[in-house]
Amino acid sequence: MRYLLISFCVLLVSCGSYSKKQNFQLDNSASKKFENPYFSDETKDYVYKATIDVYDNSFGGLLIIKKITDKEHRIAFTTEMGNKMFDFTFTEDEFKVNFILDELDKKMLINILKKDFKVLITENLSVSNLYSENNNRIFETLIYNKNHYYYFNRNQLTQVIKAKNGKEKVAFLFTDINNNIANKISIKHNNIKLEIKLKSIIR
Amino acid sequence: MRNLVYLFLFLTISIQSQTKMSSSEAHALKSLVKEQALTTKTIFSDFTQYKHLDFLTNDIITKGKLAFKTPNLVKWEYTEPYKYTVLFKNETLYINDEGKKNEVDIGSNKLFKQLNSLIINSIKGDMFDDDAFHIMYYKTDKNSLVHFIPKDKKSSKYIDAFHITFNAKGDVLEVKMIEPSRDFTKIVFTNKELNKPLSDAVFTN
Repeated sequence: MRYLLISFCVLLVSCGSYSKKQNFQLDNSASKKFENPYFSDETKDYVYKATIDVYDNSFGGLLIIKKITDKEHRIAFTTEMGNKMFDFTFTEDEFKVNFILDELDKKMLINILKKDFKVLITENLSVSNLYSENNNRIFETLIYNKNHYYYFNRNQLTQVIKAKNGKEKVAFLFTDINNNIANKISIKHNNIKLEIKLKSIIR
Repeated sequence: MRNLVYLFLFLTISIQSQTKMSSSEAHALKSLVKEQALTTKTIFSDFTQYKHLDFLTNDIITKGKLAFKTPNLVKWEYTEPYKYTVLFKNETLYINDEGKKNEVDIGSNKLFKQLNSLIINSIKGDMFDDDAFHIMYYKTDKNSLVHFIPKDKKSSKYIDAFHITFNAKGDVLEVKMIEPSRDFTKIVFTNKELNKPLSDAVFTN
């Protein structure tokens, strides 16, 4: 019985929200919307040298991101030699695979990429809660119905944490930031061995 | 009116700039390339790669050096804007990605292998394979342009056509791989040196 009680308590704690666990202070002074500044300039071609480490494999290529209109982004991946590996279109609520190599055409993989890239390119977000912690203002929002925490340090977006049941699932880190371009980006998954590292090649 | 004249001139030039070869001209080109191939033992060249994606404002430009030695050693070394080397040797692909070495490969490079063998074959002169490609011959001002359209259904899913430009001597100047989406990769060779001695050490990773 005692064990049951303890495990119940543990369960309660582990189900607690990420914000509570991190001791964030609620701050309701802000507006209901905020913006992700990256990949938001239609005149720019965003081209990154990418390294994808998945389990014990590592492969590279170029990740190419372009804002087409206010409501549309294209994301393509090619090898260094130019062979296209996939090409996706994101519109407000829709996602379309324009092309994918047969070898990569796996539902699970496409889903992971879709969710990760959606975070990179979604510009206008609704605030469900706003917190502060040290120098950070942290905006909680929903993407594909999952909680995401956007960390702004001195008005610069430095990281996004995707959390589930109080646990960090995916961490997006933006560094070497210049004129609303994050020259380095890391997307690290904690539940699977997957890390995507991006380095801008067009300055 | 003057604009109209210019437009007309421009149209005439662009129409003239690419005309179909007669079968005897095509035959002459084939034997020229074959001839050239027989005497070419090594190639050392700079290259510029243009990746064109229709949705981008500018092509993605990367540069490097190509080294080739008969019968089938090929090394593509990208130096700008990043360092990346891919070496084809003994049917294996060796990759050096800014110091990170890898021999493992993914399926997409099958395509590159195909391009690579096409380039090697174009050097050897036995790429004019009518079983594998629909081939069309054109002449431009000074050069020849050959379109290779794969007959194999599987590769035509990824590649619509290869366009190879030869100079008057039968040397490859430019290779363009066009995807079914009309996006393409174009590789332009410059400062090409033929038959310069290249030691096997060049072909290590």
